[in-house]
Amino acid sequence: MRGFPLRVLAALTVLLLAGVPAVAQKTGGSLVIAQGVDAVTLDSHLVVDAPTFTVTSHLFETLFEYTPDGKIVPHLAESYTVSSDNLVWTLKLRRGVKFHDGTPLDGEAVKFNLDRVLNPETKSTYRFLISRITKIEVVDPTTIRLTTEKPFAPMLAHLTHGAIAMQSPAAIQKHGKDYINFPTGTGPFKFKEWVRGDRLVLVRNADYWGKKAFVNEVVFKPVPEGGARVALVETGAAHAIVRVPPRDAARLAASKDVEVINTPSVRTIYIAFNQLKAPFTDLRVRQALNHAVNKESVVQHILAGVGRPSDAPISPGIFGYRPIMRYEYDPAKAKRLLAEAGHPNGFKTELYCPSGRYLNDLQVCEAVQAQLREVGVDAALKTMEWAAYLEITKKGPEESVVPMFMLGWGTVTGDADYGLYALFHSSQWTPAGQARHFYKNPKVDELLDRGRNVAAPAAREAAYKEAMDLIMKDASWLFLHAESQLTAVRKSAKGVIVHPVERVMAQQAWLD
Amino acid sequence: MGTYLVRRLLLTVPVLLGVTFIIFAMVRMIPGDPAQVIAGEQATRETVETVRRSLGLDRPLLLQYVHFLGDLLRGDMGRSTRSLRPVAQELADRFPNTIELTLAGMLVASLIGVVAGVVSATRQNRWPDTLSMVVALAGVSMPVFWLGLMLILLFSVKLGWLPPVGRGSWAQLILPALTLGAASAAILARMTRSSLLEVLRQDFITTARAKGLAQRAVIYKHALKNAMIPVVTVMGLQFGTLLSGAVLTETVFAWPGLGRLIVESILARDYPVVQGAVLLAALSFVFVNLVVDLLYSVLDPRIRYE
Repeated sequence: MRGFPLRVLAALTVLLLAGVPAVAQKTGGSLVIAQGVDAVTLDSHLVVDAPTFTVTSHLFETLFEYTPDGKIVPHLAESYTVSSDNLVWTLKLRRGVKFHDGTPLDGEAVKFNLDRVLNPETKSTYRFLISRITKIEVVDPTTIRLTTEKPFAPMLAHLTHGAIAMQSPAAIQKHGKDYINFPTGTGPFKFKEWVRGDRLVLVRNADYWGKKAFVNEVVFKPVPEGGARVALVETGAAHAIVRVPPRDAARLAASKDVEVINTPSVRTIYIAFNQLKAPFTDLRVRQALNHAVNKESVVQHILAGVGRPSDAPISPGIFGYRPIMRYEYDPAKAKRLLAEAGHPNGFKTELYCPSGRYLNDLQVCEAVQAQLREVGVDAALKTMEWAAYLEITKKGPEESVVPMFMLGWGTVTGDADYGLYALFHSSQWTPAGQARHFYKNPKVDELLDRGRNVAAPAAREAAYKEAMDLIMKDASWLFLHAESQLTAVRKSAKGVIVHPVERVMAQQAWLD
Repeated sequence: MGTYLVRRLLLTVPVLLGVTFIIFAMVRMIPGDPAQVIAGEQATRETVETVRRSLGLDRPLLLQYVHFLGDLLRGDMGRSTRSLRPVAQELADRFPNTIELTLAGMLVASLIGVVAGVVSATRQNRWPDTLSMVVALAGVSMPVFWLGLMLILLFSVKLGWLPPVGRGSWAQLILPALTLGAASAAILARMTRSSLLEVLRQDFITTARAKGLAQRAVIYKHALKNAMIPVVTVMGLQFGTLLSGAVLTETVFAWPGLGRLIVESILARDYPVVQGAVLLAALSFVFVNLVVDLLYSVLDPRIRYE
């Protein structure tokens, strides 16, 4: 505390000298972020999980950016035009951008990256985001032209995805299989070292093309235990921690040194009804179960308020989102509907549930189970760890044995197409696609196709609104909630941003 | 001695071969598709299939095992399916950290355990005995997770004496070592106590006392050495327990060790890493047992290996 007046004085001086800005950002220092798990790989094209994307988003950049307030803006691309038939996208690249190894980011480099993601041998999970592109042409060093066979409206949204980030072609070619040890992007931070399981250190890129970072280093620490993460931020050993256990949130928030940020996430949590399995073939049964569960109470009591009851299949902040409806909690109505459907005494079924994948997932399932019992539905809880769970829920229509199962879906491109097409279009049924609950409504299919194929944002929004209306009315899921992210940040660390796609961003953070 | 050592070393070969077979079969028996986990839940089927082919998981199991053994003999444990790094490199990153933690835990356990055991035995049925045995009981009963978090809460958050988690400085080793060693310390204390009490009742101790030796000399020169054989056996077993039991401590204290790597790899169905890591753990177990057996002859010259 002894240095306080001096520091204030220094800050004031800076303020006076600088004139306009209200806060003076300081440069230097090392900002520590503790996540639950270590990064998996640093080859951006192969990343699949949010904690790793948090790391890679400091190293690599995308052609377009999905901003934390939900806008899609040009980033490494400077501007774009689209042909009148909506088939050709011409992107103008930002001039003077260089990768960390000095390779210029030009049309060839962009083509190299897109080709690499599209090459099946790369095994990029997110290849499908851009697989509609049939031709990639480098017009000149700062212009690239992408052609699709059919109009593809979510193009820009998909180019914001972290897996379509730009990496140095020279570095990839030079290091081959060992490229993961030499990740080379254009971002405000460069790779320094990675001690597996202990720390991953990035260092400020002094030659960054945009607004340079303030801190010298960002250190990512994997700390699996929630309580230990809390201790880290309390003692100041970390500046930011993700996934604050809800039980600790109030205590942390009361601390004078720590702030707890509650950020809505684009991840929707739901319980899907297998629509090919009786009794869930009956709309009344699906509606009844939606009425039987008190989602507000689940969010309030099981998630300690860290969530938002769903009023649409996707969450606010995503392009195309509109509040559609909620099934109000009404056990009497649920019983009536069940009786109408021929189940006056309810029925027995199974509820599959992951454990430890989503915030208090098992506890949520237990609460749902208890509430279903109130209306006579006896759902036996089946739980297993994630890998086994993914496998059992990914079976095709004939083999699927799961009647009800909980899952979450993060619409990480910020575009309704990503959140709805994969889960509700009947062409996307498992095992080929992701639609594990075999929903089929030809009208919804048509609307989702329209949302993908027309370009005008207003027309797309209208199509998605109508589609979501039908999906909700069909009670395709037992709609639960959208998760929120609880992040604790030391008050001395300024400008740390938590993105709805579950990234902690320190690009413009600074230490006081 | 030499031939004994060679024989013991040769015996490890079938043991390890058995381990490879069991672990190879076991990781493949647990449900869950590695290709799906690697590609992620949002992957399309084509991507999952490409991943599966590239991992060689579409080949018959027996063929996979033969390939695995063949590569192993050439010293190649394959690459992690998750990080794509060589398994040997993954293990080399983590194993020394686990050894470091285990040794520190063992040190804590032996120091506290043996001292408490001696104190108890020499003051049998008086209050120091009762106290240390109650503490020992608490030590065995306390869940590692809970103890670790309580220590962090007390020494890092409240008192601010020690860093909460992580690895690097000596200070960061103290809390995890205490946590890891607590249960073993308790077991060793009880073992030392009962073993020492038994020895103290024997004739040669009476003789030593009759010679007029000081209590200290009787206990430490004559009794303790003889009482150590069962204690060393338990220490050896505990070392194995610590080595494999370090996973909870590693998780609480974010210690970058082998245990956490194994758990993460199992969850990710990273077969090559699980296989390599379990093999390494088995190898260390075999090695520790051998060391314990050799220690017997040091403690009791009557024991000879031919």
